[in-house]
Amino acid sequence: MTTLKTESPFIALSGVSKTYRTGNESLPIFTNLDMTIQGGDFVAVMGPSGSGKSTLLNLLAGIDHADTGDIQIAGQRLDHMGEAARAAWRAHHLGIVFQFYNLLPMLTAAENVELPLLLKPIPASVRRERVAKVLDLVGLGGRGKQNPTRMSGGQQQRVSIARAIVADPSLLLCDEPTGDLDRKSADDVLAMLGYLNRELGKTIVMVTHDPEAANAANRTLHLDKGVFVENEQVAA
Amino acid sequence: MMASIRQTMAMSRATLLSVPRRMAISLSMVGSIMLVVCVLSGFLSMARGFEITLQSAGSPDVAVILGGGTREEVNSEIPPDIARSIMAKGNDIGVLRNASGTPILSRELVVPVEYRTQLDTAGTTLALRGMEASGLTIRSGVTLSSGRLVSSGAREILVGEQLATKYPGLDIGNDIRLGPVVWTVVGHFSAGGSAFESEIWGGFDAVASAFNRVGEVQSLRLKLTEPTAIDRLKLSMSEFADAQLMAFTEADLYAGQSEATAQLIRMFGWPISLLMAIGATAGALNTMMSSLSDRTVEIATVRALGFNRFSAFFSTWLEAFLLSAVGASLGLTLSWLALNGWQTSTMGANGAQMAFRFVVNADVMTITALVGVAIGGVGGALPAFAAARLPVATALRARG
Repeated sequence: MTTLKTESPFIALSGVSKTYRTGNESLPIFTNLDMTIQGGDFVAVMGPSGSGKSTLLNLLAGIDHADTGDIQIAGQRLDHMGEAARAAWRAHHLGIVFQFYNLLPMLTAAENVELPLLLKPIPASVRRERVAKVLDLVGLGGRGKQNPTRMSGGQQQRVSIARAIVADPSLLLCDEPTGDLDRKSADDVLAMLGYLNRELGKTIVMVTHDPEAANAANRTLHLDKGVFVENEQVAA
Repeated sequence: MMASIRQTMAMSRATLLSVPRRMAISLSMVGSIMLVVCVLSGFLSMARGFEITLQSAGSPDVAVILGGGTREEVNSEIPPDIARSIMAKGNDIGVLRNASGTPILSRELVVPVEYRTQLDTAGTTLALRGMEASGLTIRSGVTLSSGRLVSSGAREILVGEQLATKYPGLDIGNDIRLGPVVWTVVGHFSAGGSAFESEIWGGFDAVASAFNRVGEVQSLRLKLTEPTAIDRLKLSMSEFADAQLMAFTEADLYAGQSEATAQLIRMFGWPISLLMAIGATAGALNTMMSSLSDRTVEIATVRALGFNRFSAFFSTWLEAFLLSAVGASLGLTLSWLALNGWQTSTMGANGAQMAFRFVVNADVMTITALVGVAIGGVGGALPAFAAARLPVATALRARG
């Protein structure tokens, strides 16, 4: 068990255990996992398949729940929240970037980006302004009316990033954000994430298999069989 | 609250925009619901048309007296002396009198007769009614649409519009054989599409003599002073206990006759339609589960963004409702185009053919539309609950 402790952590996992059960079989993922991440940090989580990376991300996103243990993010206990409260929490504090972008193909790029803003009491005109602004930020200004299925993988991932940041969340969770991209597009996306971390102060947790992607982070945590086996401090 | 409405609308829009991806199975759901609506509206419009045809013939201020303890005119028999006694009582039993003080009533006979056309050599049984001249004035809503009235004692007949339309041989001026004698068609009458239009009318004496029934009376038709006078008439029937006389308003008599047949039609129609509806509901369930399967990642994605469960539930149910509404609308449109006003005939109460039209009216459309939409509602409920309870993490893993 690896414990990362710093003062007033933004994310704090304490004694978290998670086991998947299928019929009589059980697959333990974590046992008594502890972890802390400071606000404004950019952390990469690496590890082999089945090490628990995605489960960790799901627990942090509140779309899966731990069997035991405390999960505290920005001073709020996720493990104490019900389903509806966690959905509301995600709407206000979290942005997610998926490996396969997970854009809704029947909506335009702008409509996809607008989705998180619909969860907040924001007038339509303000929503449109903010969508245009973040599309500009990710280099897709003027492409809002385009259907994402007509875009390249790199462009789709940038739409996905725009969607993740449009509601100005404090935390970005990225699940293999470069896993489906060529090197050039992957570098662009990593540069974008670095910018969001450095310039906008977003706390980023990125799960990745790609060592080059991990290099973009401030530090890397290595998960193996549900345990942090080492951690490296990487110069920002 | 507004945010909740906005996310539900956004989710619903995305769901409906994704329907073209599932066009084939969505169309199968629409088609099966359309079929159920067509079948059900077919039966209901038949029953409704039959009811309207009979009920519109009945007036609440016209009474019919039948003898022999039957409700069927063709089986009724009123002894001539009793008929005379009733006619003599007149106003005492609630019967209206004309300006000259004569009670407005008509002795009548109904004879099932075989009518043969050149094409239909097997013949068709029609109802030939012999009535007195007052029989025409007693019946409200009856007008001579063409030709003239029959002459007293002559072998002349008036033909109802429904029969005249169906059988060109019943044109005015034609001589036709009904039973042992030849009759001349001298006019056509209309009666608002009611059961009367399926009859042939002749003079009472002419019909009685042609069929060797002189002196017989099957029914008496009387114009009441007011609809409530029927109670007085019914009470007075106890004086003629031996003849087992019964008095009805025309409205009650025809309502009773139509009810049994309409119930029979519905008794066949509803079980068949409900069985089909169960099949269609299973189809709707299957369609919506396919929709859910198709949209799993999209639902999980927006749920991960923070959309609530209700938006997933509502959008899935809305899709089911809208598909079923499309099916019901198409079914109703087809039924209306194909069935409404379609004329057919069946055996009427007098053992003769009675023509009626299918009626796809507001009642029929409302009931069948509700059944159609209910199929979507029931079939879509389970998938909608499943959408709301979709395990987000598992669904997102499935995409990866």
